Amino acid sequence: MEEKKESRRRVLGRFWMRVIGFFLIAGVLLSYATYVLTPKHDYGICSMMNLYEQEEDSVDVLAVGTSLVYAGVNTNVLWSEYGIAAYDLCSAEQPFWVSYYAIREALKTQSPQVILLDAKASAYTRDYSKRGRTILSTYGIRGLENRAGAILACVEEPLEALDYLLGLPQVHNNYGSLTAEDFVLPPDNGGRGKDWKGFIEVDEVESHQRPSVVATTMGRKLNEREEAYARKIFELCREEGIEVMLVGIPNPDYAADQMYYNALWNVAEEYGFGGIDYNDPDLRFGLRYSSDFADWQHLNVKGSVTFSRKLGEDLRERYGILDRRGDEAYASYERCAKKWYEGYEFFESA
Amino acid sequence: MSILSFEFLFFTAAVWMVYYLLPRRRRWLALLLGSFLFVSCAGWRSVVHLTVVAWNVWLGGLVLEILKRKEADLRSTEGAGRSVKRYETLQKIVLAMLLTFDLGAMAFLKYEPAAAAWLNDLGQGRWSFPVWELAAPLGLSYFTFQSAGWLVDVYRGKAQAQKNPLKMWLFLGYFPQMTQGPISAWKELGGQLFEEHVLEPEVVSGGFLRMLWGYFKKLVIADRLALTTAVLLGEEGLPGWMAVGGAALYMVRLYADFSGGVDVVRGISQMFGIVLPENFRRPFFSESVAEYWRRWHRTLGAWFRSYLLYPFTTSKAGLALGRAASKVFGKMVGRLVPTVVGTFLVFLLIGVWHTANWNAVIYGAYFGFVMAGAILLTPLWKKMNRTFRTPKGGWMRGVRVARTWILVLIPQYFAFTSGPRQGFSLLLQSFSGWDFSGFAKRMTGIMTVREWVIAGIALLVLLAVDVLGERGVDVCGRIAKARVWVRWQVLLALLLGILVLGVYGPEFDGAAFLYTQF
Repeated sequence: MEEKKESRRRVLGRFWMRVIGFFLIAGVLLSYATYVLTPKHDYGICSMMNLYEQEEDSVDVLAVGTSLVYAGVNTNVLWSEYGIAAYDLCSAEQPFWVSYYAIREALKTQSPQVILLDAKASAYTRDYSKRGRTILSTYGIRGLENRAGAILACVEEPLEALDYLLGLPQVHNNYGSLTAEDFVLPPDNGGRGKDWKGFIEVDEVESHQRPSVVATTMGRKLNEREEAYARKIFELCREEGIEVMLVGIPNPDYAADQMYYNALWNVAEEYGFGGIDYNDPDLRFGLRYSSDFADWQHLNVKGSVTFSRKLGEDLRERYGILDRRGDEAYASYERCAKKWYEGYEFFESA
Repeated sequence: MSILSFEFLFFTAAVWMVYYLLPRRRRWLALLLGSFLFVSCAGWRSVVHLTVVAWNVWLGGLVLEILKRKEADLRSTEGAGRSVKRYETLQKIVLAMLLTFDLGAMAFLKYEPAAAAWLNDLGQGRWSFPVWELAAPLGLSYFTFQSAGWLVDVYRGKAQAQKNPLKMWLFLGYFPQMTQGPISAWKELGGQLFEEHVLEPEVVSGGFLRMLWGYFKKLVIADRLALTTAVLLGEEGLPGWMAVGGAALYMVRLYADFSGGVDVVRGISQMFGIVLPENFRRPFFSESVAEYWRRWHRTLGAWFRSYLLYPFTTSKAGLALGRAASKVFGKMVGRLVPTVVGTFLVFLLIGVWHTANWNAVIYGAYFGFVMAGAILLTPLWKKMNRTFRTPKGGWMRGVRVARTWILVLIPQYFAFTSGPRQGFSLLLQSFSGWDFSGFAKRMTGIMTVREWVIAGIALLVLLAVDVLGERGVDVCGRIAKARVWVRWQVLLALLLGILVLGVYGPEFDGAAFLYTQF
């Protein structure tokens, strides 16, 4: 009887070991499948994933926000002309609630002096962003608490978040568009390598006119959730002793955004933060609306160079950001800029 | 909570853990709590309806048993003939009342809106019946049939009344079978629910495999083929081959969908050590329509046979019909008439059970007609087979299977179309315009080549498993007993296949199981 009991105990022990073993293997396999199937393009997944590949405490300026940031804040220009170690951590149509969790995750490995916060999200009026690509942008976040936080903030009902949290249910359909690069770990960032700092060049040229706006300080009520998360960002940065610089990145569609930006500036002021709206009609720094935009919102390469030169100047002036050129700890910035200018020699400063 | 959702899987895993953590005698309580939570997720109406039915059936069962005992006591007393008769009648009245309440509630919820709308149309404004579009509780048909069957079994003395109403509730509301069935008799499920199950690794592993196989059939095959049905309904003037192909794929899709759902349910149940009755036995290998119905939705067919067809044919009315028919058609045919009439009525009811519309009536009447015809012609077929010495196997088996396919394919035109006109129009279309010139363009218009290839490979896997099943090989059972590295490879391949190639996810407007709505 005792022997029988013992043998049953052994059978059950083996069963549980096998259950654990099976689910461990299945977990690894499915995690890799999720990684492979996750589209590694401009939606913000790569800039987050690549941030983990950066040396700890190697980012002085963290640019956070929408696609206006990754197309406009040219980290190569900031480095080569001012020695500013900047990283673009952004995704298409990123609301403040995703920015907030992205910043929290970034602060685990980086201690930026300044966070450049794109003001564009203040003009978003929708409460939730259960749009595939917005949620997809959170898939680069490794920290479960921040990833879950971002996803939960994106959906109306907590139960809706489960499919997104698991990841595979959202990305599994991409098996049709896989390339050999999708299987490489960590991602190659579209051939840019690990040194890439999040800037995505847009080469198209579309002619626009300077938005016709009248200078005003009037604000327009922000979406409550956007405002709440903007406040969370400001509070977090104040606690961490990080400066926040609000940035209104030039875009031809600015007329619709102006009063939202004003309202955001007012909120930031409550926390002692400020910034520069580069759409200000009185601010002229050589940007040509006829040739410096790729579409109705995004700067093209030429525009990003012009804008980033001005931005670098302002960053140095307002926050005294150190020139890191020549510092071995920041060598990856040098390599990144060098590689980039090989393709865009024309923009290299004398 | 859909059984296709991840919440359901986590929920099931939690119930499973609690189930095996509890002392053996108390394990059924985990099922009871799990089932209560599962039904609650469908809304309070579902809980109330199920509870009222369970209470009614539990109480009714007790009353029937008391009457039965009284009747038995009186039978042993001399000269109590009239009293016995009275008790027999009383039992019949109680049973009739209970069944009227039980089946009546289902009929009201399912058919009142359609019947009222139809009557209002008929009246053209002269009268107006209210259309109560009440949400049907979860698993309405399944627990109604199960409870009605149980009451009849108690009446017949084949089942014993339950003393514990909670046990009755669990028998009717056992969560794995609430969305897909099968419809279990007490002897198949009742005892098992309250047995002291121990954790058997092989059984659990087999259940897990069966569950994955079910998800594979549903998500990789059935939901992928859903696009082919959508094309049939969305486009006019299709070539004949597309109408036939689409209807045939609908038939396969329905099989993958429903049998997949039942495999999920049976697999989960097996992990609790509870074996649910088989609902499908490879119906597309049937050599006759009668055999097809013995293999397709077997528990529904068995229910109708046990509780409707047989009681009708052996009832006084059935026997009288047989005698009357014998006088008109002769003894040989007349003897068959009650079965023919009963079969026709049963299939008509099966059709209407699916949904309350004219297509369902046509669907049921068609099968009723074919089945009744087959019964009447059986003596003739037998004679012909003897005369021509038709072989039982070989190529003739292929011919018979093909004939069954054709006979079963025809009513499918009424299963997925919205009305008889559309069904007949598509059926007529099948005989015209067999032009293959735009074949590639039309096929890739439905799905990409890649999707067709995936569907094709998945169907081949399904075919292989079913062919092996026909040869007596229980693939799931064999794999569950195989060496661990073989088993794990199959499980991991299935898991990965479902999660990568399945049609699901937040961006996908998921098709629920086709049979959940019934």
